[in-house]
Amino acid sequence: MTSTAADRETFRTAVGGSYPVGVELVEREPQLEHLRTALERSRTQGCFVAVSGEAGAGKSALVRVATTGQQWTRVARGLCDPLETPRPLGPVRDVLADLGVKVGADPGAPVPLAERLLDAVGSEPTTLVIEDAQWVDEASVEVLRFVARRVEALPLVVLLTYRDGEIGPDHVLRPLLGDIARLDAGTSIGLKGLSIGAIRTVLAGTGIDAPSVLALTGGNPFFVTEIARHPAEALPASVRDAVLASTSAVGAADLEVLQVIATAPDSLDDRLLPALAIDVPQLRRLEATGLLRRSRRGVGYRHELARRAVEDSIPPGVTPRLHARILLALEGVGADPAVLAHHAHAAGDDARTRAYADRAAAEATQAGSHREAVAFLELALAAPGGEPVHRAALLERLSFQQYMVSRLPEAVESISEATRLWAEARDDDGLAAAHSRRALIEYYSARRAASERHIALALAHRDAPAYGAAKSLEMLLAFRRNDADATSEARKVTRSLAQERSDDELLVRSEILGTAGDVLMGDDLAARDRLLILVHDAAARLFDETASTGWSQLAAIDVEQRRFRDAESLLEQSLPFTVDRDIPICEQWQTGVRSRLQFERGRWEAGLEDAQTVLDGGAPIASLWPHLVAGLVALRRGEPAPGGADDHLEHAWRLAEQMGEPLARLAVMAAFAERAWLLDLRDPRLAGAAALLREVGGLPGVQWSTGRLAVWLRRLETDHVDGVGHLNGTSAHDGPSLTVAEPSALELEGRSDEAAQRWRALGAPYEAALARVGSSDEQVAVAALADLEAMGAWAAADRARGVLRERGLSRVPARRRTTTVANPSGLTSRQLDVARLVALGLTNAELAQKLYISPRTADHHVSAVLTKLGLGTRREVVRRASELGLV
Amino acid sequence: MKLFLIEREVQGASELTHEQLAEISRTSNAAVESLGVQYNWVRSYVAGDKIYCLHEASDAETIREHARRGGFSCEVVAEVVAEFGPHTATELESERAGATA
Repeated sequence: MTSTAADRETFRTAVGGSYPVGVELVEREPQLEHLRTALERSRTQGCFVAVSGEAGAGKSALVRVATTGQQWTRVARGLCDPLETPRPLGPVRDVLADLGVKVGADPGAPVPLAERLLDAVGSEPTTLVIEDAQWVDEASVEVLRFVARRVEALPLVVLLTYRDGEIGPDHVLRPLLGDIARLDAGTSIGLKGLSIGAIRTVLAGTGIDAPSVLALTGGNPFFVTEIARHPAEALPASVRDAVLASTSAVGAADLEVLQVIATAPDSLDDRLLPALAIDVPQLRRLEATGLLRRSRRGVGYRHELARRAVEDSIPPGVTPRLHARILLALEGVGADPAVLAHHAHAAGDDARTRAYADRAAAEATQAGSHREAVAFLELALAAPGGEPVHRAALLERLSFQQYMVSRLPEAVESISEATRLWAEARDDDGLAAAHSRRALIEYYSARRAASERHIALALAHRDAPAYGAAKSLEMLLAFRRNDADATSEARKVTRSLAQERSDDELLVRSEILGTAGDVLMGDDLAARDRLLILVHDAAARLFDETASTGWSQLAAIDVEQRRFRDAESLLEQSLPFTVDRDIPICEQWQTGVRSRLQFERGRWEAGLEDAQTVLDGGAPIASLWPHLVAGLVALRRGEPAPGGADDHLEHAWRLAEQMGEPLARLAVMAAFAERAWLLDLRDPRLAGAAALLREVGGLPGVQWSTGRLAVWLRRLETDHVDGVGHLNGTSAHDGPSLTVAEPSALELEGRSDEAAQRWRALGAPYEAALARVGSSDEQVAVAALADLEAMGAWAAADRARGVLRERGLSRVPARRRTTTVANPSGLTSRQLDVARLVALGLTNAELAQKLYISPRTADHHVSAVLTKLGLGTRREVVRRASELGLV
Repeated sequence: MKLFLIEREVQGASELTHEQLAEISRTSNAAVESLGVQYNWVRSYVAGDKIYCLHEASDAETIREHARRGGFSCEVVAEVVAEFGPHTATELESERAGATA
């Protein structure tokens, strides 16, 4: 019988029925039927239904009527709070409590929580109701998206209500609504205002004129019903007046209690009633207004519109006092810091606002609700007073959370202010922390020079706790610019520093980055196995970011060195890890790496999908390859790209310049060379190509990228692209110092057929086809045109056709109109997943289970895959799997 | 006033210390105090993962109201309609004896 929140949640109220249920459902038969059907089918087919409408449209009423008194599923409900900043995971905690899952004070990251939620659902048909999602928090959205992706294969109906007018383009709910729109098992119901006929039904017997009510209310069911409840009075001018009509007979003391309750947007916890001296006879009198409702959360308003009406009627100056009363009562029962911060702020209590907002921010961070963490830290900082060094520490945390939600310019501002405060306070540890943080943000913003400057400033404080972090960032930057000496030097320093300070994570990080350097620059494949062990060890020891960084770097190296299958299986493990452990920067980075991987393998549609994901708000550091993929696929296909192919390449160029990393600069230069070849035009930028090869071509670990660039430059030369003179007569494979990867070397030596074979074996069909265009065997060269066309590389095929004609080939076939050759380049990511499972011989049922979809949808995907591949049966997919690069 | 037997599920109830029981008692007293209606907490028993309480109130709803205000669970609320024990057997015999005498 302890009075903890967790225990309280097992408590089931039985009084809901003693209060008026409120709005009767009028004119909602089709919507009700839709929901009932969804519930009835839940045993065999899960679904996600979004119910939208303005405030008072009857969303909750519809869901309540649909879910009450039915035998098909059990029901768990979660409410989102209209607090200025919502409780992280509030609605998820609610539904878990309803399902009998106890969540402690620290609920953990969204994905493990989502898994617990699905475990709790198990095989028992269940309906989850999430109400008022316009107020949802970021972590809850993550949980719901996780559930949405799997809902179809579960005996689960999720009903989400929200006010559509309050969801702007950047609203936290947007991604989930996007998911629902794309889901096979997702539907939306929009609730409109009542018709004149329906209004007549509601007003029946009141003598009120229906057309006047329609004109006044626009058919809003809540407003209409409130009017109908007070037929004797003149028509109210607004919803507020209609609601306040219910309070006209209430005494002063009772009115103040109604106002106190209105001041608690998330309902007034029953445990506060003793402290607020609200007794049972008083509650009974308040019940008579018909405005209140009791739920598991306590005493609250039957409708948010009613609460707002009463709240708005509180005289100015009184509100802070009411919040202070609630705050005092809440402190007595140990409430959620998010709720305490809300009331402390509204009460104008600066010290408490700072303290509770600080704690709420820490909890939000823990839950992965970064937007809420930002809001709480801003709240704490907005409260005047507080020690400057404490403010600096809050600002440092704020800058990290701002970076987590991709608000990089603001993150820089926050950390600059923290730096100023720490400098004034002569706090060296603080300064080192601020510079180290700033260096990281600059690095993610792809500004290498600024990052290096701040690393140097952080490293000026040898004894500061942040020294190790700055040193390991220095090491990462050295590795990223293929500087083997600086990497191994930094490795020695970080290793001894880690030992000196008993900093295990620093030691692991140093080993991981050093070993990644061995894989990239030492051509040491045994190092790859060592790196994998190190990363698994880091993950097991919960050094999440370090583990994820190791995977991120290795995945990029694998793709760079054309170990596509290794990269693919690595990303299959590591991408879910970044989501699970909530490391968005690594998720963006690895999605960018996968975008390149798909692109290199000729799976262009899937590559574009990943590219778009990163380009929608990803950090600049992760955007280089997505820009290249978006630009190059469009150029090869001869299609306009969204945003323009050239714009993408320009972006990539600028990023590579700012990043100053050899691999980035080489890749972008090669892309411009390819563009010049495809479009047969001169490009002044290529004038720097030879110099670039001279500058970085001798570095360890760049042989694949120099190879690609050298081959493109050679192609420009041999195919007489106008302006090739810009190369200043420098031979593309400039001098004996340039070591390039084997397939490129073969190509440069004119051994095109062997090169094509190598590219094909590596799983790089576009490179293979272009190598074949260069074949001295006329038939091989002509056949390569069809390969390019099969991939959808129409522009590349046209250009190659021109080259072959120029070369004097007699029978170059004209462009074909369509292609029926099996090719996975047009498959979306989802279809690619399906295709790979089909290639493994899985049945639709097995496939459905693996992808969390219903067998019917699996069926649907399989037919789409067969159509796109131009194959008749799944057996053919299995037979040609290896040729299609599916296994 | 009616007498009610209340069953509350409390994980690890039998391990509650004397201080914790005192704290619960304070919370419960404050909840009783705040009701503003007649209410009497008679006695409670701790057994395994449960706490069984005897309370007097005018109805079961008030019992639940007390639980909500105290933040206590209350899985079962049952009105006590009779009380009996070993003495009941002999009471009945002597009643009968009295009747036939």
